[in-house]
This record gives sequence, C-alpha cells and structure tokens, in this order.
Amino acid sequence: MKILSFQQLPYRHMPADFASKYDSIVTTPYFDLVDPKLMHQDHVHFLDEMLHAARCGFDGIGTTEHGQSSYDILPNPNLQMAALAYATQSEGLNTALACLGRALGKSKEPLRIAEEYSAIDQISGGRLIAGFPISLSFDANQNQGVPPIDTRPRFAENIMLIDKALKEKEPFAWNGRFNKHAQVNIWPRPVQPSMPVWSPAVGNPATLAGILDRDQVMLYFSWFGPKLTGRIFQRYWDMAEERGRDRNPYRLAFLQCVAVAETDEEAHREYGPYVKAAFNTGLGSIPMSSLGIPGYMDINGVAAVAKDPGDFGMFPIMRTASYEQIVDAQACIVGSVDTVSQQLIELVKQNRIGNLILMVQHGPMPTELTKKNISLLAEKVMPRLRKAWLEMGHADENWEHKWWPTGLPK
Amino acid sequence: MSNTASIRGPERDEIVSVWNDQIKMRVRIAGTGPALVYFHPAAGLYWDEYLDGLAQDFTVYAPEFPGATPGDPYAIYKVDEYSDLVLIYEEALRKLGLKGAIAVGQSMGGMIACDLAAVFPDLFSKLVCLAPSGMWRDDAPPAIAQLYASAPEKIPGFVFHDPSIPAAQAMFSLPEDPEEIPAAVAQNVWTLGCAGKFMWPFPEHGLRGRLHRITAPTLVLWGKNDRLMPVALAEEFNAGIGNCQVRLYDNCGHILQMEKLDQALADTRAFIA
Repeated sequence: MKILSFQQLPYRHMPADFASKYDSIVTTPYFDLVDPKLMHQDHVHFLDEMLHAARCGFDGIGTTEHGQSSYDILPNPNLQMAALAYATQSEGLNTALACLGRALGKSKEPLRIAEEYSAIDQISGGRLIAGFPISLSFDANQNQGVPPIDTRPRFAENIMLIDKALKEKEPFAWNGRFNKHAQVNIWPRPVQPSMPVWSPAVGNPATLAGILDRDQVMLYFSWFGPKLTGRIFQRYWDMAEERGRDRNPYRLAFLQCVAVAETDEEAHREYGPYVKAAFNTGLGSIPMSSLGIPGYMDINGVAAVAKDPGDFGMFPIMRTASYEQIVDAQACIVGSVDTVSQQLIELVKQNRIGNLILMVQHGPMPTELTKKNISLLAEKVMPRLRKAWLEMGHADENWEHKWWPTGLPK
Repeated sequence: MSNTASIRGPERDEIVSVWNDQIKMRVRIAGTGPALVYFHPAAGLYWDEYLDGLAQDFTVYAPEFPGATPGDPYAIYKVDEYSDLVLIYEEALRKLGLKGAIAVGQSMGGMIACDLAAVFPDLFSKLVCLAPSGMWRDDAPPAIAQLYASAPEKIPGFVFHDPSIPAAQAMFSLPEDPEEIPAAVAQNVWTLGCAGKFMWPFPEHGLRGRLHRITAPTLVLWGKNDRLMPVALAEEFNAGIGNCQVRLYDNCGHILQMEKLDQALADTRAFIA
C-alpha cells in the first residue's frame, strides 16, 4: 500500500470566537484577522513540515486547492508543490507529489494547469500525481464567478482539453464552449508518459461513475466522519463492478485525519484543542448553503440529499461540534500508536484502501507538534500498516498500482 | 390579505415547440381579453394574486424558463447563450401569435422583457417591469449571488420587506406530505440553478447599451426597500428608455406585486388600459 502525508494551509492564529463570528470562506476579513509575520511563518512552517514528511519516509506528500479561504490558503498549490519538488529532488528523495489538486470546474485557464503540472513533473523527475477535483461550489461559483450550472460542463471540457494538451504530438485547435484556441502545443510536457490522475469525490454517483469510466483513482476526504459515511465505499466498489472495473484496491485513495502520541491520554491532551478548533473554524465554518449553490448539483442529486443527507455525515454540526463528537465520528483519529494503528488498519480493511493519505496538521496546531505527529506516524504507525497490508493478502493478489508516478524513464 | 387558497391560478397550458424543436416551452394561460405576456423571475413561475387580477381583463400568457418546468429539467442545456434565450422567447411568442401584446416582467423576467423589446422594438405594445434585473451600478450592486448562497431560511428576508405577510408565508411553504418535500425542494433549487446560467454572478448582459432601442411605452415599478435589486437601479431604466415612467413604493421589498398588491395592480392597469 501507499501512505502519504497531507496538509492544508490554515492560518494558525485565529481568535477563539472565530466560528461564532466569521465564515472560513469568501467573506473572512483578512486584515482584521491576520498578523503578516505570522502568515509568513505559517507559509514557511507548511513547507518545513511537508519536507519533514518526505524525509521521514512517507511515500508521498499531498495538498489541495482552495481560493479565498482561511482554512486552506492554497489558491494555487502548484506554487508550494514546485518548491517541494525542487527541495526533495535536491535531497534525492523519491517522494510522490500529490496535487489533489487543481479544480477544473473552477478553472478558466486549464492549459496553465497542464503546463504547471508538466513543470512540476519535470522538476521532480516524474513524481507528480495529478489531482482533478470538480471544485467545491463556493470556490467555483462564489470565488470564481462560474455559473453553478456550468461547473460540471466546465470540468468535463477542461479535463478533456488537458488530457489532449498533455499527450497530443501535433499542435491542435480547440473549439469548446469554455475554451477557444487556434493552436494548442504546450511546453513542457510531463516526464511521465501518462501522469496518474486522482479525482476527489464525496460520493455523488455521477462523479464516481466518471472516475471509474476514465479509469482514475477515487480520492475520498473523510472529514465528515467515516463512521457516518462508510456506505460510500460499498457504493464505489459496487459501481466499479457494474462498470466492468476490477477491485484493485489502488483505485481508492482515502484521506484520514490523524494525531498520534505516546499514550491515548497524552494524544487527547496535546492535540485535542487543535483538532476541535480545526473542525470548528475550518470546514465547520463553511456555510452549508455554500457547498451546493442552486445549479451546482443535478436536480436528482438535490432530491437525493434532501431525502437522505447521510453522505454529509457530521458536516451540518461541525461548526459547534465537541471534540468528543469529532473523535467518535472518526473525523479525526487521535490516540496512542496502538489506537491509531488499529483504527487505520480497520478502515483500510473495511474499505479496500490502497492509498492511505494521513492529514497530519490541524487548524492552529504548531509546527513542533506537527513534526512530532509526522515522525511518530512514520516511525511507529507506518510499519504496522505495511505489515497489516501484507497480512490482508492484497500483496499476494498482485494488484498492479497503475496510478503511481513512474519517475524518469529508465 | 392574500393566501394560496384564494388564488385561481392558470386555466390551461400550451406547449410550444421552439429552438429547432429542441425545447418544449410550457406556457401557462388564464383569463380572457387582450394578450398580456408575463415573464417570471429566477425562482420560477409562482402564480399570485397580481396575475389573477390581470387575468380579469387580459389573457395572461406565462412562458416558463427552460428547465423550470417540472418533468423537463434538462431543457436548460439546450440554451448556450443569453442572446439565444432572447431568440427562444421571441420564437415562442411568434408561434403563439402574440405580436403586439403587453409585456410584464418581474426581476429576471423584467430583464428578458426589456431585451425582447430592445431587440424586437415592434414586439410589445407596452412594457411593465417590476424591479427588473439587468442593470449594474458600483454603488448599488444587485445581490443575486448573496441570495443564491443564502441559507434557505434567510431568503424570505431577502425578497420581502416584511416576510411575515401571509402571501410571503404561503409562497415559501413546502408540501404537507413529507414524501413530496424532497422533489419540491429539488425543483425549487433547480429552477434557480437554471436561471443562474444567466443570472450568475449577477445579471448584466449589456442591457444598458440596448435600452435606447426600446420604443414601447414603459412603466417601471420598484420597492424602495429592495435588498436584491437596489431601487437606485430604477434611475438607470428611466434614463435609458425613451418613454419611461417610474413608480416607487414605500415599505416594500423585491416582490412588490405581493407586498403592494393593490397599488401594483392599480398602477399596472392604469398604464396598460
């Protein structure tokens, strides 16, 4: 199995009453809340910690993209990933770089994304995993001005254009609804002949079908509490079978928040306040209505969610959720090496996870503690996960990981 | 005061095939007398007492926006551009033989009616716009995106000065049968979503530059407390349209024909008589 370390880039110094006063997206007042020295420090710590994870032996490091948000200040994660590509390359680290990724329902410049991904792949010698999310509604629609009903058509056109731009040998013309180019011939192209593509999904059957049909990896972020949303994976594997795909566990990438310490008590004491603040002031402070602006979701999808909002797990209460609720829903797994390992192994087993992505930094969590979390996960938890993976028998089944970076040509 | 029980509603429907037979546009009809075309707002066609009142003296034709008709949600995907939308409405009216009709449009419907009147100056004999969209001013920006991204419980306060009036309460009520609620919610959300294709992030398609082409006598009605389309935008219509009158209502929000039903009906009737 593959194990990746993942971080968002929150501003780590929000006031205690943030969640009751502000939203974490679109309208959050920058100058009222931010100390420029601390913002600078957070940006540097983010890179330090990601590099630390690569040095500790994680198979990959990953990020997401969000604009105009205080909980993930990565409007273009390719900037940070380019820095990390060079840093890891110069240290000889063979770490995969997962941009999870650039949101194509939002993008008005998809060719620039193709060019940037290619550049990162060049700098890193072919270590990029290309993420292509559709985009959260607030980001595509409120931040970027895309009419909600155009979000999915824009995604569909952009991903076709990027795919062609990366591979086509001759310059070509593109006459789309959203992109018009007389000649497309991007430089550079990626090192990898076919970059692995991981596409985030929250469980919408239409999105899952697209991922399976394009033969990509489904990437699931378990922030809403996997104990509450576990049914999504049964749906995914059933759909894979229906659509003629195999049950290769590498088809699934699963992100899980984790915080590990020497004992359960110490973990709760050390990480608890940060984990609670992360959920309350980050995802929890996104207004529900900004995740599904009218037109973003198909009419049948709206009816399904109105009837059964289960796929959203604990999201509706996240702004005020207690630490206990967060931990009980497994939105974050917190505890000793034994506790964290055991819960992760169960998740991997239950859901057939081939790529486990561990989110290691939470809200205001400071850099020393983040590095401790990363180190303990790498030294103590990862070996147990790898051992358990062998015992699950997936290795014996000889599944090929078709969605992992291939590096430089041999 | 008004409530749904007293609303008579449409009496019949016609389905008009338009846009090279790709769109079956449903037109809801009531009343007898000269033809009056009503263009509904982004939230869809809600037949209220204002339309009932007009149907006493006119034959009211209310075409539904592509995608807003229950059972035909994907008609919106046949409309790529706003200019195509204007042509689609013109084709429907032409096929119904409604040239020379009176046009009444609310909010988004007001913008569509204005564009039809600008592109086809002989299409309407008179034009009545109820807080029409289509205009932008930096000091009076429409709040469409804010409305779309609002929690459902905040929407009545956006469009009514006094959301407690019975007509407003009735408009936002959901079906009594819980089984019917998901489909009803989905239809309401989808109808807004379809309109959003041309209303997002705000409805501005260059109408200001075309207003001078409108030759039909025009009446613009507006609530002074409109939170969605600020009343200052009424001045832009007044300045741009050659033959234009404006009436402003005190203590009145965006859906002025419900909050000031008697005044709106009286002013409309007096103008189009």
